[in-house]
Amino acid sequence: MFKKINLWHILLILIVLSAIVPILFMVSNSFKTLRDSYGTMLNLIPTHPTIKNYLLLNKQVNLLGLTWNTFLMATIVTIGKLLTGLLTAYAFRTYQFKGKMFIYLLFVATIFVPFTIVMIPNYLVISKLNLLNNIWGVALPQLCDATGIMIFLKTMEKIPNTLIDAAKIDDIPKRKIFFNIVIPILKPSIVSVGAIFFINSWNEYVWPTLILKDKASFTLPLALQNYISSEGGTNFPLAMALSTIMVILPLIIYLIFQKYILNSISNSGLK
Amino acid sequence: MHNKNKKILPFLYLLPTAILLIVFMIIPIIYTFYLSFFDWNLIAPTKEFVGLRNYIEVFTNPVNQKVILNTLIYIFFLIVLNFLVPYFISLIVKFFIKKMQGAYKVLFFIPSLFSLVVGAMLFTWILNPVSGPIAYVMKNLGMTMPNWSNSGILAITVICFITNWKVFGYNFILLLTGLGSIPTNIIDAAKIDGIPKWRLIWNVILPMNRGIGIYVLILTIVQGLQYVFTPINVITTGGPYYGSSNMIYQTYLNAFVLYKTGTSSALAIVTFVVFLVLLFIEIRFVEGKAKKYV
Repeated sequence: MFKKINLWHILLILIVLSAIVPILFMVSNSFKTLRDSYGTMLNLIPTHPTIKNYLLLNKQVNLLGLTWNTFLMATIVTIGKLLTGLLTAYAFRTYQFKGKMFIYLLFVATIFVPFTIVMIPNYLVISKLNLLNNIWGVALPQLCDATGIMIFLKTMEKIPNTLIDAAKIDDIPKRKIFFNIVIPILKPSIVSVGAIFFINSWNEYVWPTLILKDKASFTLPLALQNYISSEGGTNFPLAMALSTIMVILPLIIYLIFQKYILNSISNSGLK
Repeated sequence: MHNKNKKILPFLYLLPTAILLIVFMIIPIIYTFYLSFFDWNLIAPTKEFVGLRNYIEVFTNPVNQKVILNTLIYIFFLIVLNFLVPYFISLIVKFFIKKMQGAYKVLFFIPSLFSLVVGAMLFTWILNPVSGPIAYVMKNLGMTMPNWSNSGILAITVICFITNWKVFGYNFILLLTGLGSIPTNIIDAAKIDGIPKWRLIWNVILPMNRGIGIYVLILTIVQGLQYVFTPINVITTGGPYYGSSNMIYQTYLNAFVLYKTGTSSALAIVTFVVFLVLLFIEIRFVEGKAKKYV
């Protein structure tokens, strides 16, 4: 007896394949010889598997330095966005003050500011601060993020008023309410929002290309771009080896926090 | 004293965000507005006041006109690929299948972990018209693949597909969540009444999901036009003859490649005005509930 198969699954599985197969080819090509990457391009399993691309890559670029730069930048940005986001959301959750609505809408509005409108002035400021070719120059203008504020605010609204009021009556200092009550309750969303911030920053390209011109200061996406233009020429397997290295950390983070991350994304849309 | 403290405290918590927003967003927007009335090259010690000339340049220069048209083409493809398709698929997953919903969510999201630089490189290889796998298969079937990088509109299509690969899962999850928050008793009632599923979706579900629908639609335009920057810069650098450039990319080209700060700033201001219109639509239809903060 065959059960009736839902034909929609065929369409959905095709979409999964179109999402995943390019990634499989990325990994596959990183273990192929240059000749095989053209000669047997449709083979997902390399005919002559080799780790030479990774070894050569390690000679051509400073892999450790690149990874460290990327890690440092993503960490600074993530911590900054989490701190400013938590403080802001906390102020909104626990206080009534003038202009609250206006400030809230101002945060919403920042999502609609194209980066091109702040690009020149921020570039000039970073260059005045002597932070060109410096990870801090990339990180500094992006230490706060409206999406984070929104998600934290939504989670904080779920904390019952009675809990915060009780703490106020007991004359527990505000600082302690924040650290001992609010933060522990928010832990899951801090972890997931932090993971999203980190992954996005890890992959960031546009602003770093303006600030980081010196190779020693490059992050991984910038180093990768070099392999499509002049220098790396057309060595596709080499570029795919770097791509594979680049995605390892985001993938690990996703595997560990996958449930939280998907939940947070859902939350960011709910109004 | 205590009372005064209470009034200042919330602003103390807001201070870090406020300083960052003022220094790196509000002042820069004002400064860009100022620059849009001057002729400058990013380096020279003096700027020449030119009035509205940069704005006239934005709308009358044939290259900029082409770029504005391209931007509309981008918006069209972004809406179709990154909004309508994920919306359709989220409806399928929500109402037409019963199993594996969680698995699809997890799998669709995986490309979001990748840098668009990786996406751009991968798809340039896959779609290479001479030596790529798809061209290879097509050749064996007796077909030839068009050289898409020579055609503005084909390059735009490819670039939009690359961003689609990355953001599909993200938008899918947002839209699916919206559908999930619609009360099930409404859906059940319609089922009992024997209303066909597609009519139920069209007449009931889509209107009820309007808030998040508009939110994702607008985000698709605003963020999409900025996401495509990476594949444009990696693959075509705006070519052929600005055929795949959009207003965002052209703003960058003017500032950091052509050193025409004035044109760049005017383009940025025009883009911002368009985005502000979208913001007002968003506030009108989506942030309605935000009134709770008044």
